[in-house]
Formats: sequence, structure tokens, C-alpha cells
Amino acid sequence: MESRKKRMLINSLIYVLYAVVLVFFLFPLFWVLSTSLKTVPELFQTPIVWFSSDPQFENYAYIFERTQILTYLMNSFIIVASTIIISLIVAVPAAYALSRFKFKFKKAFMLFILIFQMVSPVVVAIPLYRLFVQFNLINMHWSLILVYVAIQLPFTTWFLKGFFDTIPQALDEAAKIDGCSRLQMIWKVLIPVSTPGIASASILVGVLSWSQFVIPFILLDDSALYPVSVGLINLQSTAEAITTHYLAAASMIAILPVIILFVALQKYIVGALTSGAVKE
Amino acid sequence: MQKKGIKNRGIGENPIPWFLPLLAVLLLVFVYPIIEIVRFSFTDAGLLDTNYSVTLESYTSLFTSPGFTQMLIITGVFVFFSVTFQMILGLAIALLVDQGMKRKLHGTIVIRTAVLTAWAIPGVIIGIIWMMMYNEADSGVLNYILSSLGIADSVAFLSDPVNALVSVTVANIWRGTAFSMIMIYAGLQTISRDVIEASLVDGANAFKRLFKVIIPILSPVLFVNLIIVTVETFNTFDMVMALTGGGPGRSTEVIALSIYNSIFNQFELGQGAATAVVLLLINALMTVIYFKVLQKNQEVG
Repeated sequence: MESRKKRMLINSLIYVLYAVVLVFFLFPLFWVLSTSLKTVPELFQTPIVWFSSDPQFENYAYIFERTQILTYLMNSFIIVASTIIISLIVAVPAAYALSRFKFKFKKAFMLFILIFQMVSPVVVAIPLYRLFVQFNLINMHWSLILVYVAIQLPFTTWFLKGFFDTIPQALDEAAKIDGCSRLQMIWKVLIPVSTPGIASASILVGVLSWSQFVIPFILLDDSALYPVSVGLINLQSTAEAITTHYLAAASMIAILPVIILFVALQKYIVGALTSGAVKE
Repeated sequence: MQKKGIKNRGIGENPIPWFLPLLAVLLLVFVYPIIEIVRFSFTDAGLLDTNYSVTLESYTSLFTSPGFTQMLIITGVFVFFSVTFQMILGLAIALLVDQGMKRKLHGTIVIRTAVLTAWAIPGVIIGIIWMMMYNEADSGVLNYILSSLGIADSVAFLSDPVNALVSVTVANIWRGTAFSMIMIYAGLQTISRDVIEASLVDGANAFKRLFKVIIPILSPVLFVNLIIVTVETFNTFDMVMALTGGGPGRSTEVIALSIYNSIFNQFELGQGAATAVVLLLINALMTVIYFKVLQKNQEVG
């Protein structure tokens, strides 16, 4: 066992390293927050202004009033929420079947699903762009959501399959004896007991879909339909009109929902990241 | 492991209908586009052309153009350094947080959350934030810090081709470390206390313990992590797009960005598709390695 003195020494060392890690990871966020509250002269001042002496909350008001950010946020919410729901609707039956049925080539089939996890979205977006133009599906949320769903499906299916595996088959048998069909069993028994797994999967799908960029960037050109990631690039490219502090404020607005969600629900996120990826 | 070929034991139900929605979505969004992109790579089509002829020209002109080799080198450097540092930092922070947890230190959760937050921020916004920090004027924060510490003056973070590649890689390391950290952290939780204690009894010091005990036990996790992170990094688009747009010149044009630029800026569908096929082959190679490792892990486990 460590002596008291040694223990104190190691603990202090850990704290010093904690501080380094914290600065490295939080500094960029601090900087964007700080910039978002500056006055125009403060942006260009040296020595640097760390904390604005006169925090400009108007910068945020400007973004809300003068840009389409609310539309972008709203679009992101619609796209992300739909993606979560549809991913679950598609992935739950597949995950259930992978978990409960025995059939030939099951392992090969699972690997087949996983292959698509590795494919770069930019590669599929290009033929899809042509296809969507041809069938007049470009600039539509629902066709876009289908692509978002597909991108999340391999992980979601694997993850839910893993979770369903942990739920005893005895529950299935009991439900069957009670006269439940498979669908009733899934709806009335499996889904309620799988809530933590489904929650973790939903959060991960949500965070990843919120970040999704290349798909909407290629498949949308109507700015009224942009999610927040593409909207921000749009603001950035009009940067002559919009100076740094406004861009910083817009960035803060775009990341705040994710950060709040993350801090509040990090237990599920850590669980989801670790169980899905490391097992199997 | 279950034996293949066991018939459904009396359940008598077919699994296929359960997979139909999944298969339909995957076919439409992945299989069809992949077939199309391979087909385009053998044509001279423009972005929306419907008349084109079959040719190998895309590949011959791609492989002989100096831009292609340069792009591969840039991508290689970006991926290699991103992955290496993400894994080293991820491992270091995972060990740190693990120690903090075991010692029940205050603030450990704060650290974990701070690191994870970086991962949750959309890549586009990470690009924008780092672009602000790399501001080359005197009021640019990184330049200000470096010159205050007397390390360097007026670094051309983004306007010098070599620096720009370094800058993009650093921003990407910042972004990706969290993922490695959490995967490795999860792996650490599976190491039983007995193993660690046994090595303590053997008198192994901290470094010996790390390299002789912990890393070997973690190696399957590290390997899976390596593959996933490598694939992700090869596929990087959004962060670089926002930070440099591939510039100055084409000095930070990684492969995913190059595909996009060929097709949407130069309207060379054939050439872009051929580059996309190269990226697909890289992805396929990684997938094969990944499967081999998964199989090996399962045999061991």
C-alpha cells in the first residue's frame, strides 16, 4: 500500500494533469464564448481582451434577428428527431431478429451490416444527388432524413442487438405463454425493459445527426431547409457581412443544445459509446 | 460460438421480413450509390450529364496527375498524425481519469465531460472555432499566447501550406481524442483488480505495469479503436472544409474534400468518382482488417 505522503504526491500530480487537460479541451470553448460577447474594438485589441468589459449580449440578439439561425435550429430539430424515431423503427425489428432468431449466415449478415459503417458519406452523397435531382427529391427533408437514417442504422442495429442479447429469453417465453405475438412481445415487454439501451442509442444517433454535415451540404441548396451545421458554413462564407463576434455567437447558439444534452445525459452516452464499440 | 446451419427450432418463423426495412434503406442509400460511383469512375460524365462514354481516362489521368500523389501524401500525413496523437492522448487521459476515479478524486467527472464535449461539437463548428484561434493578426489568440511566452512571433498558421496542414491536424486531434479516450477508458474498466494487484505484488513499477500488463490486455480494444479512428479520419470532411476549405492552394485538401471539389467545383464526375473509389478501397481494406481482429477477439474471448 502507498504511504500517505506518496498518495498525496500522486493525487496532486493527477490534479495538475487534470488542469492541463481541462485547459486544452475547454480553452477553445472559452475563446468562442469570450469572442461572442466582445465589442468590435475589443476584437482587434492587443494585449488580448480575455473578458469583455462590456459583454455584448446584443451580438446574440443580432444573430437571432438578422440571420435564419432559428430556422436552421428548427430544421435540425426536425431532422434529428425524425432520424431518431425512424432509425428505431427500422433498427428495432432487425436487432430483435438478430438477437432472437437462429438462421444461416447470421454472422456474415451482421458483418455485412457493419461494412456500411465504414463507407464515407461523401461517396454515397454524390450518386444520391444525381438520383434525387432526377426524381425531384432534392431540397426535401424527408428524402434527406432517409439518408441520415441509413448512416445511423449499422451502429444502431448492432447496438440494440447487443442490448437485446442481455435480456433473458425467459421473458419471451413468458409472453408467448400469455398469448402475445412476437410484435406484441416486442412492444409490451422488450421495449419497456430496454429503455436504457434505447435511450443511449437515441442520444448517440441524435448527437451524430446534429453534427452531420456533408449529406445536407450536398443534398440541399435551399437555405430555408438547412440544418444548423450547413447554416453556419453559410454564415461563415458571407463573413464580409458578418464579423467574428457574430460568427462566435452563432457558433455558441449552435453548440449549446448539444452541450446541455451532453452534460445532462452523459451517463447514457458513456454507456452507449463503450458497450456498442468494445463488445463483440 | 453458435454453429451455422441450425434450423429454426420449431419456431417456424422466417427472420427475413424483420430485415426488410433495414435492407431497403441500406440498398437505396449505400449499395446503389456505391455501384453508381464505381460505374461513374469509368466514364467521362459531368455532374448531371446523362450522355457519356465509357473510358478508363479518369484513372489514367488521376494516377498520372501530380495533384493526386500530393493529395494522397497530405491525407496520409493528416491521418497518421491525427490517429497517433488521438490514441496516445486518449490512452493518457483514460489512464488519468481511471486513476482519478479509483482514488475518488473530486472533479474527475468534470474532466470526462470536458473531453467528451469536444467530441459532441459538430465538426463544422470545431473548424470555425479553430479558425478564430488561428487568426494570424496580433489579436489572434494563439499567436498572442506564443509571442507572450516568447516561443514564436506571428506564426502563419493557415496561410503557409505546411503550417496549415499542421494546424488542421492539431484541430482534428483536439476533436477526436475524446472518442479514443472513452473507448480505452471502457477497456480499462474490464481489467480486473486482481491483475493489477498481482503485478503490484510482483513489484512492477508504474511504467512496467503500463507496458507489460495494461497495454497488452488492452491491445484488442486499442486495435479496434485504431481501425475505427483511422476510417473516421480518412472520411474527414466537415472540419477541414470549415477551417481551411482545403487551402491555401490545395495544401490541406484531404481525400474526402478532393472528391467533393472535383465533382462540385471542377464538375469532373469521372475523376471525382475515381478518387471516391480509391477512398472506398481504403475503407474496404480497413474493414477487412477490422473483421479479422473481431474474429480473433471472439476466439480469444
